[in-house]
Amino acid sequence: MNIGSVKQFGPTARGLVLGGVMGWAFLTLFPFYWTFVTSFKNLRIIVKGPTYFPFIDFQPSAHGWVELFTGVRGEMFKNLANSTMVGVSAALVATLFGTMAAYALTRYRFRVPLAAGLAFAVIAIGGYVGLTELGMKRFEAISLAFAVGLAVSVVLGNIKLPGPLLGNEDIVFWFISQRMFPPIVSAFALFLLYSEFGKAGFKMTDTYLGLTLCYIAFSLPIVVWLMRDFFEALPPEIEEAAIVDDVPVWRIFVQIVLPMVMPGLAATFMITLAFVWNEYLFALFLTNTTWQTLPILVASQISQRGDEWWALSTAALTAIVPMMLVVWLLGKLMRSGLMLGSIK
Amino acid sequence: MLRDERVKHAFIWPALLVVLLVTMFPLVYSLVASFMKYRLIPPTPPRFVGLENYASLLGLERFWTVIGTTSLISFIAVAVQYVIGFALALALHAKVFGHRQLRVWLLAPMLMAPVAVALMMRMIFHPALGPVNHIFSSIGYPNLPFLTDASYAKGVLIAVEVWMWTPFVTLLLLAGLQSLPQDVYEAAELENATPWRRFWDITFPMLLPISVAVVLIRLIESLKIIDTVIVLTGGGPGVATETLTLFAYQEGFRKFNLGYTSALSFLFLIVVIIFGLIYLAVLKPRIEKYR
Repeated sequence: MNIGSVKQFGPTARGLVLGGVMGWAFLTLFPFYWTFVTSFKNLRIIVKGPTYFPFIDFQPSAHGWVELFTGVRGEMFKNLANSTMVGVSAALVATLFGTMAAYALTRYRFRVPLAAGLAFAVIAIGGYVGLTELGMKRFEAISLAFAVGLAVSVVLGNIKLPGPLLGNEDIVFWFISQRMFPPIVSAFALFLLYSEFGKAGFKMTDTYLGLTLCYIAFSLPIVVWLMRDFFEALPPEIEEAAIVDDVPVWRIFVQIVLPMVMPGLAATFMITLAFVWNEYLFALFLTNTTWQTLPILVASQISQRGDEWWALSTAALTAIVPMMLVVWLLGKLMRSGLMLGSIK
Repeated sequence: MLRDERVKHAFIWPALLVVLLVTMFPLVYSLVASFMKYRLIPPTPPRFVGLENYASLLGLERFWTVIGTTSLISFIAVAVQYVIGFALALALHAKVFGHRQLRVWLLAPMLMAPVAVALMMRMIFHPALGPVNHIFSSIGYPNLPFLTDASYAKGVLIAVEVWMWTPFVTLLLLAGLQSLPQDVYEAAELENATPWRRFWDITFPMLLPISVAVVLIRLIESLKIIDTVIVLTGGGPGVATETLTLFAYQEGFRKFNLGYTSALSFLFLIVVIIFGLIYLAVLKPRIEKYR
């Protein structure tokens, strides 16, 4: 088939297209190559100016990597372990919860009165302001206002109310719109909330739970958005047949639906993992020393070891190599053809 | 449908509860704080001041400079990303040599930690020892101040943004290209339409809806830029490359000026929404036309 293929162009045009693509590929891959090469340089080689080919224009030495692995400076391994644990668990839970929500949003009809949502907002904000004015502590005030607001809106949601109804599309939009809010505000406010938790005797800042919970919440919108597309592409007939046979819903979900969206599930998990692994701002606010993640350490290298380029390179590569693995796995999934129509 | 309607609640509530708990709180908290005079250091009891924080921000010259810098970086970066990303998507869709491998590896930058990318770029754009200086030296412009001159630094930030996020545009437009119906192209083939005409008459208009979405997502994300700025320039020289998020970070984390930071972020949100609404208002009639 020639339609839309490069073959429709003359040799000159084809050459230009190929040249352009290869040029971009070079620009994309060169920084990775150069960082890799630089990790084998020492100070004497670096100050002489840029060199590109080990053994040809400089003699490589592995001292940067030895430093990294023996942990002479910095605590790369601890941060690596933290990032791995927080990343994997947050991505797992977010993928699970988000997939469940996305499934409900594609296969069931939701009708929530707008009034119920508004009631929640009014009670939560008003209650919080009012209770703090009355002298209640911030932590108690916000918990109470939230609990009451939630309860009232759930009750209101179940009775017939006049006014517009929010459908599935609106709920999905609400999920996704969480990502529009500037993360700096959320990070800062969350830091203060966690501090209030701490004052109430429950430590959240610089803990595994606090950081993971935050990442789960901020990954959920992405998961819902991606997984909804996968479920929409799935014909509902098989599930309906199972419903007729009286198979419980949780078994339909686990044994029929999930296996069918496995490639999508894997892709979503890896994208979420990448998001959490690379995240900088929340980790900056919510962690201190114990649960500091890799990006914080990587960023701090610039002030600590600005001229020691082998150290900068090994630090950057430590954060990059696991994600290269993710890119490779995503590539395998894409080529298996099962991800068609996923991201539209 | 024969489904048991009650089960849906069990499916949606875990996600709903987590998001409500963790993301709605900051919203409520900072909205309330934005109307207060509220500092943590030195600790002052919060006092309701109405719109004072907003008013003082809007009267601040630095605020407008920061808005200007952020929009300059975002708009240029997203425009360039869109053009290059579209071209790449077309080339990959046309099965250019090596397209199977390229489709995967060209995605790499967008899945890398921005701070790690910034670290690499800081070395690559080093004014004396980096490869970019090597190229510029060989054509007669040695030692350009890539990260210490206001205009160059903005240029580098845009370049890094383009390098990281062009793959995102490519990925989504490629998915869009693959979902286009073939028969329209077959008809165009019969009428001997040139590839150029086919692009402007068929491909581009049919991809307009997804293009609008991609550009909007990129724009919103791009306006939040901070990680790469912190590592590459730290907002400098002076405050020349300070972005909105970085400004909020400085006010919040360094000065612990809570009411002010919250007001700043709501202004930020308003800026994002205004840009988004103008953008959609301008483009909507065009999208409708092609539907």
